[in-house]
Amino acid sequence: MSNRDYLGEFEHIVLLAVLRLDDQAYGVTVRREIEVRTKREVSIGAIYATLDRLEAKGYVQSRAGDPTPERGGRSKRFFRVTAEGVSAINRTHRAIRSLAAGLDLLGSRL
Amino acid sequence: MRPPAPRPRPPGIAAWLVSLFGSADQAESILGDLEEEVSDMATKSAAVSARRWYWRQSLRTIAHLAGTGVRNAPWPLAGIVLVGFLLQWFSAGLPGRVIVAILRTQRPYSNLHYGFYISFLDYGIPITGAIQSILLGCLVAAFARQREMIATTALSFLGTASIGLLFLDTSGHGSRFAYSWPFVIIELMNQLAIVLGGVIVREIRLALRNRLSRT
Repeated sequence: MSNRDYLGEFEHIVLLAVLRLDDQAYGVTVRREIEVRTKREVSIGAIYATLDRLEAKGYVQSRAGDPTPERGGRSKRFFRVTAEGVSAINRTHRAIRSLAAGLDLLGSRL
Repeated sequence: MRPPAPRPRPPGIAAWLVSLFGSADQAESILGDLEEEVSDMATKSAAVSARRWYWRQSLRTIAHLAGTGVRNAPWPLAGIVLVGFLLQWFSAGLPGRVIVAILRTQRPYSNLHYGFYISFLDYGIPITGAIQSILLGCLVAAFARQREMIATTALSFLGTASIGLLFLDTSGHGSRFAYSWPFVIIELMNQLAIVLGGVIVREIRLALRNRLSRT
């Protein structure tokens, strides 16, 4: 992936949630983490669509867990952020910091 | 001590719809996540609100899965839908011609079963049209690979839009070719039959995949 590729807003949020959850990141925990921290209701479908896109870009890797009874015998799909994913987060943060530098955002009345 | 409450069952139709629109791997993890959440939710709130939540999440998930399917391969999908639409357009009169050809071989007007032949004409054309639409849906779905439902649903929407436009165009000017309501209803049923063709192909593929993974 090009080192000019920046993360979209939701991609950024999902990657940070997966990073926070460490080895416990799967659909349910990622959705809850985002809802708790952003106060925004998101669908499981939106999370998987984004995670599939991030996996295609090489920013996350997934592995299948064991089937559990509370999931109707279906297995979990765990995600972890790759080194490329961490680089993409840093690149996006740097770009945002650079754009925000010198702006009086706290004093803004808009 | 009271026995623990039975685990709530997620709405079967909602789960089935999700499995139709996602890949088999996606459906496995998404449906597992939804079931885990809904059983957790049912312990804290009413089963009705948990089911409502499941339905809402399922419909939003289907929209996302369809959107992702289109974004991943927009041009092949558009090509398949366009070819399907042209096939549908140019074969529109085929059921009528088939039924009339069958009736001609039986010489319906010269024997005692006149009523039967009239019924055959009345019901035969819509039934043949529905079978033709199912076959068209199967054909489109077969070429759409993992996107059977997206392709057939898109074709169905395109067909419905064209019927709506034709209906408005002909009925607005008092044309003698104006489409009647029964005709419109039959045509809308044919659009649903196209989606049914997609469901048939999808289910066959899922069954084959499951059988292969077991062996």
